[in-house]
Order: sequence, then structure tokens, then C-alpha cells
Amino acid sequence: MATVQVSEAEKVYILHGVRDDLRVDGRGCEDYRHMEIETDMVSNTDGSAKVTLGHTDVLVGVKAEMGKPRPMVPDEGYLEFFVDCSANATPEFEGRGGDELGMELSNTLYKVFNNRYSVDLKSLCISPGDHCWVLYVDVLLLQCDGNLFDAISVAIKAALFNTKIPKVHISEDEEGGKEIELSDDPYDCMRLNVENVPCIVTLCKVGHRHVVDATLQEKACSVASLIISVTHKGTVTCVRKVGGGSLDPESIFEMTEVKWDACALFHTICPLPGKLISIEYSAPCLFT
Amino acid sequence: MPTDTKRVRGPEVSQSPSLFLCKNAVKKSTAANDARVDGRQRGQVDVRSVFVRCGLISQAKGSAYIEAGNTKLICCVYGPRETERKDETDMKSGRLITDMRFAPFSCRERGSWIQGSDEKDLSLMLLESLRPGVCLQKYPRSQIEVNVMVLENDGAVLAHAVTCASMALADAGIEMYDLVLGCSIRQEGATYLIDPTLLEENGYNLASGSRENLGSLTVAFLPSLNQISGLQSDGEMGEDTLTGDVRTCIEGCFKLYPVIQQALSKAVRRKAPPSES
Repeated sequence: MATVQVSEAEKVYILHGVRDDLRVDGRGCEDYRHMEIETDMVSNTDGSAKVTLGHTDVLVGVKAEMGKPRPMVPDEGYLEFFVDCSANATPEFEGRGGDELGMELSNTLYKVFNNRYSVDLKSLCISPGDHCWVLYVDVLLLQCDGNLFDAISVAIKAALFNTKIPKVHISEDEEGGKEIELSDDPYDCMRLNVENVPCIVTLCKVGHRHVVDATLQEKACSVASLIISVTHKGTVTCVRKVGGGSLDPESIFEMTEVKWDACALFHTICPLPGKLISIEYSAPCLFT
Repeated sequence: MPTDTKRVRGPEVSQSPSLFLCKNAVKKSTAANDARVDGRQRGQVDVRSVFVRCGLISQAKGSAYIEAGNTKLICCVYGPRETERKDETDMKSGRLITDMRFAPFSCRERGSWIQGSDEKDLSLMLLESLRPGVCLQKYPRSQIEVNVMVLENDGAVLAHAVTCASMALADAGIEMYDLVLGCSIRQEGATYLIDPTLLEENGYNLASGSRENLGSLTVAFLPSLNQISGLQSDGEMGEDTLTGDVRTCIEGCFKLYPVIQQALSKAVRRKAPPSES
């Protein structure tokens, strides 16, 4: 992960601030930074979104291709995730430096979407056993200022919402072979239902309290973080502890009890039409 | 995924015979409200009994073998060895390098010798689970290598790998704060299955009905310090189910603790028998 060097005095400053619910940039412990989401910006993709969360910049492109369904589930399509940490983000990612982080992010995304209800995979089936839609979700990290998981998950949700999959008709010709026809109308397409797509919230343990949307400096002061991916109904689809420290079971239970108003805010964003959505978080309504 | 170019896997259109297995036979054996296939109970903290032995590999600094039901893993530890000075952090504390691999014959389908992304992910989680338990600041400028090989995969592989690796570290004489024990659980509807077998992990019984609560959880726990060093879950679970399952896994770890301690003390006594006087 891109890191900054933080001196001992700075660490103490951050820890004392967090203890009193006041972070370096004036936020409370459970406040997010300013977030901007823009969709439909890359015309060559079937769906795209760009999320800017503070200084973290993430661009997601979704391309739908026809492929063969997996042998064990012939009536479902599937999603493939790939995260590329661009060298634009930090010099540490130059060459193969960003591969490890990219792999960790992709693997976490596979786990987050590894359940029956996030994306309706049956709607991606064209003809069982033969053809299905494979959605290639490619994430590009342009700038890295902490809290990558949250930004990536919101961007993926927005990109999937924006995805237009062309409608196909399978017709049989005389010899019994199958012919696939794409409709001529470019607007005749199918949209995905992203209601159940989860969003990820990262909680970093700084001192005795946990902090949401940590910057790089705060990350350097924390020993462990918990990544929780939640749907709008409150179902948890993935929990993962990252970092080299250990957590008390009580603090884990406390972190999972945090009310999901921030996540609810994420989930209400996506049905909003329009290109540019800018979100300003006001502290009182967030967590009760 | 990198492909293995040295071995001929058969023509591209060929498929594994396991795909054509009669699925009904498998589903019937996991009907709800029955006991599990191996006789353990649902909804109770009934971990499989383990066989553990330390010190099998003479070349390694420390090693351990664990068998839980049909899951068999072996782990060896090399180190502390000198590491090239890469950056400032290496000067102050040591580095732990973990590597977890599946033998090609370990799973139902033949795997590849080249490490896939799941194995890399498991190695990363193993590293995160073990790091809080090892006193790395006592080994500056060194690296400790932990290699886990799964000989047979019958469920709960990560959990047993964590236990096996911490035993091997202790056998190697690496200073640790506490043993790290792993426990895995599978939630199906209203009941849970602790320490699931591979069939229980992958299959699910549609007849048990509910749309909620179908997932797996693995916890790595330090018993005497009461700290969780690793937590990983997938599938979908409600918040209360999740916290309940974490507590259940912690109980499972406590059940395992005396067995592991006993095996370690036996290994130590074998290495250095107490003097008669």
C-alpha cells in the first residue's frame, strides 16, 4: 500500500485527536470526505464511473463480452475483476510494484461479490451451457490517498448501474446451428439491477477508537483495519481484517455495530440519474 | 491465471468427469436437521479431533503436521535468516514471509503447481494472522519463512494452516506472544456447522430454505491474550449472525488449545529430555 512516513510526534497528535473525536482535517471519527461520482465518461466501455474521494481517484470500466458459462453453473454469467494500480498514483507502483496491492484488491472484490444476491447472474445468461455474458470490471487507481476499498466499491456500483448490455436473440437456422443476433438499435439494451450490490466500509483502529475513511497519515498510525462490505438491507457480505496487528473481539463487535447510515447514503446515490453527482456529508445525520 | 505449459492436460474440449457426477446423491446426504455426515452435530461447537505432531522435518528449523478429519497439512519454518536491507523498517524488526500451497492431488480437481491467485490470497491472510503473534522486533534485519503445504483439502484449510504454522514457529524456537489458533465455521440458514468439511463448505442445501445467512467465516485467535489476529468471511450474513459466529469460533479455538499445548510440550521433551538429576 502506498505509505507515508509519519514521525512519532505526528502519531501522538493524530492519536490524541482521534481520542477526542477530532481528526486532523476537522472531521469526526465517522465522517467521510467529500465524494464526487461521475458516470458514463468512457464511451468505449459498456459502463464506466469515476469516483473522487478526497484525493483518492478511481476509474472503473465495465465491458460485457460473450463467453462460455462456468461448467458448475451453466445458467449463470459471471464477473471478472481486475485492479490495476497505475504508476501515476505513486512511484511505488512503478513496474510490478503495484501488482501485490492490485491482487489483494481483486481478491477482496471476488469475495465481496461471492454470494447469490449481489448481482443477478441468471440475467446474464444467454443460452444455458453455451453462451453467457461475462462482465469484465476493470478498476484503475489514478490517485491514492487512503481508503481505496470504499472508493472502489462505490465506483463499481456506479459503473454497474451505468452498464448497458445489448439484447441478443438466439435463432436456430436450418442445420440446427445457433445464430446470435444483436439488435440494430443501440439503445435496445438491458440494465442491471444494482440494488443489492454491496458497498465496502473500511474501519481503521487508531488508538482505542475506530476511524472511517482514513487518510494515509491515519493509516500509518493504525495497526489493523476491518473491511466490511454491506448491502443496503444491512446484510454483511464480506468481513476481512487487514494489517499486521491484532484486534480485541469486543472492538470488532463494536465496529460491526456502527450504524450503516454512511452505507445507506452510498446506496441511495446509485439510482440517481445524471452525470455528475457531488456529495457533501453533514455530520449529524450520519451516525445515530 | 498462469498456465502450466510443461504438462499436457488433454484436449481443450475435454472436461473433468466430476462434472457429470450425480448431484442428487450429494444433496440428499446434507438434509437439514440431520446430523452431519461424519456424525458431528449442527449448531454445536463440535470441532474435528486433530492429530498434531511437531519436528518431523529434520532439515527445517521447525516443522509441524496437522490432521483434522481428512484435512492434512504440513508446515515448515526456516529462519531467522539474514535479509537484504531493503528499507528502513527492516532495520528495526524482522520480516515474516508466508507461502501456502496446495499439492496438485489435494483437491477434487487436479490443481497446478504454479501458484494461483487463491493461493496468494491465502498466503496473505496467513501472514496477517501470524504477524501479531510473533515477536518480530527481536529479530531485526532477519526474515522468517513459513511454508505451508496442503496435502489433502477437506475443508477449513486456512484455519488449520494458521494452527499448524504457529506450532511450527514454536517448534523452531521463534519467540512468540502466544499461539495463534484458527477456526472455521459455515453458516447455513439458522444453524451453523463448525469446522466444515469440503462438501459442507461448497454445497448448500436449498431445502433449508432461508434467503439469509449463507456464508463462511474463518477466525485466527490468540487464546491467552484474547485477541483476534485474523478474520475473514464471505457469503451473506446478518450482523448478529456474524458476531455470534465469531464468538462460536473463539469457543472452538479454546477447545483446540489444550491439545496443541500438549503436542508442543511432548515435542520439546523429545528434543531435550529432562535430565535425571
